[in-house]
Amino acid sequence: MRIIETGIRRLVTALLVMMLAVAAAKAHDAGEKPLRPVAGMFTAEVGHASVLDSYLTPIAYGGTAMRLGYEAQQATGFNPERWTRQLDLGINYNYTHNPAGNHTMHALTIDARWGMMHRWRGVLTPGLQLMAGGSTQFTGGALYNANNSNNVASARVHWSLGFMGQAVLNTRIKRLPVTIRYQATLPVAGVFFSPEYDEAYYEIYLGNHRNLVHMGWWGNRFDMENFVAADLHLGGTSLRVGYRNRIASSWVSNINCREVTHCVVIGIGGEFLSVGRKQRAESSNIISSIYQ
Amino acid sequence: MKKLLHILLILLTLLPLASCHDQPEWKNDPYGNFDALWQIIDEHYCFFAYKDVDWQEVRLRYRAKVHNGITSRELFDLCSEMLKELQDGHTNLISAFDVSRYWIWEQYPVNYDERLIDEHYLHFNYRRASGIKYQVLDNNYAYMYYGDFASGIGDGNLDVIFSQLASSDGLVIDVRSNGGGYLTNVETLVGRFIDERTYAGSIQHKTGTGHNEFSNPYDYYFEPAHNRVHYNKPVVVLANRGSFSATNNFVSIMKSLPNVTIVGDVTGGGCGLPFTGELPNGWSIRFSAAPITGPDGELTEFGVEPDVKVNMTEADVAQGRDTILEKAFEILKSKRTN
Repeated sequence: MRIIETGIRRLVTALLVMMLAVAAAKAHDAGEKPLRPVAGMFTAEVGHASVLDSYLTPIAYGGTAMRLGYEAQQATGFNPERWTRQLDLGINYNYTHNPAGNHTMHALTIDARWGMMHRWRGVLTPGLQLMAGGSTQFTGGALYNANNSNNVASARVHWSLGFMGQAVLNTRIKRLPVTIRYQATLPVAGVFFSPEYDEAYYEIYLGNHRNLVHMGWWGNRFDMENFVAADLHLGGTSLRVGYRNRIASSWVSNINCREVTHCVVIGIGGEFLSVGRKQRAESSNIISSIYQ
Repeated sequence: MKKLLHILLILLTLLPLASCHDQPEWKNDPYGNFDALWQIIDEHYCFFAYKDVDWQEVRLRYRAKVHNGITSRELFDLCSEMLKELQDGHTNLISAFDVSRYWIWEQYPVNYDERLIDEHYLHFNYRRASGIKYQVLDNNYAYMYYGDFASGIGDGNLDVIFSQLASSDGLVIDVRSNGGGYLTNVETLVGRFIDERTYAGSIQHKTGTGHNEFSNPYDYYFEPAHNRVHYNKPVVVLANRGSFSATNNFVSIMKSLPNVTIVGDVTGGGCGLPFTGELPNGWSIRFSAAPITGPDGELTEFGVEPDVKVNMTEADVAQGRDTILEKAFEILKSKRTN
């Protein structure tokens, strides 16, 4: 167990060092400064949620998952041909019921993820790109089960570091340019909040803050996101159709939490540039983060 | 980079072992629902040792009566009987058609008559704020009745109430038949009767499924209500068996204050903070999960003894007198003369 923990600690350190080093690096190219449009996309998601939080109830609930999100991806200022970064923000709401259908649980969370990936273009075929790198993610919110007494709610606060990767294929369906993408995000380690088994939030309110923050790693929590999307480019506008699967699970203080969602994603966006007139006139080199 | 890839590969091989943990699942049939109820209580209930309940033996005795043909109501009654073995007013099985209960106060004299107070002491002339009925009585003692700790108490309301009652010679706080509510309201109300940080008791919680897996007791204190109107004259708190849960907690804390006397009957108890679980068929189960001691360090699950034990008499009631309230006046009078 200690070997694994040491490994994770080294990995997290390496990830941090890598991200900081890359962020601190300066472009060596003294030539023309390229334009780096932001691929922005507003999304709405709906699908199925399966939620278990044994602090609230030993029974798994099922119901509707919803999310409103915004994703922005852009080539980095340094070495823009090879590096790209992504910001993903979302607000999630799950409306679920117990199998008997007489109790309701609400879950409202926000999430924010920032990642940076190395980019390999033209892998196998000219339109295929692969990206891999690290990401950091924050999730916060709460689950609420109106049926309960002193365990009526369960807070969610989680910050993590991990890996993310993309496989992107820019192609055409007949004459329509399409970007097909698979993205996986795999948090590895972090910190998260959990009360102790049967510890009431009233006790926390009274001032007992012992054992509320936990180091998260694959031994006590596992999170993953799989995302597949097709962005249809209609002139300057892109329409997104996709699917997102999220898994968030933890096992700490004898409390079992598991949340799995499967959602259909639709979105609208495009590539946006924020440049001065002079810069636009001088620059002919545009580096798209994902669409080229 | 090579090292990083190495670590990554090792971690990826561990991925299938990641934290997914099996959750017990029960069938939605008579045995499944019975087993779910028994196991939820077994893993979460906090007073097995204190009450010396052999829960395994209870299971054997009651599970033998379950059969596949048992009706929903019969199963409910059987489960209710099993839960009564816990002698716990906070333990209820809740279905669409009934709520099981172990309400000890149903077996004792009521010791409270709201109409009698309203008619013969308040003369139907009282004020009401934050769920508190209050007035200065003819004998210049203040009376306030708080019937539900679930009724939110506003600091502004309490300022108005205690300003109004400030000219009285003593105060009677009547919490008879108050079945409890929010502990935060206990803190808000007690804060008007203390002038310094005051030890209120300790709280524990279960840390695992074993019957004796508990956290260390966490001592907690109440702060005086700063820059608010306080009441510093003698106080009598009236209690009965219906003073349960948060009210029981309020009485246990007030009892520890120097200027306060508890009069009436033993309170109904209920010192375990309740949690709720549920069964596959949708029935809810509420149970005591976190024990709270009073300032004397004792659990008050079976009630708080009053300083002066008095029951209402039929003869007094017939004459429009509340025996317990009259005793409170006597005590306040004696404190004033002393």
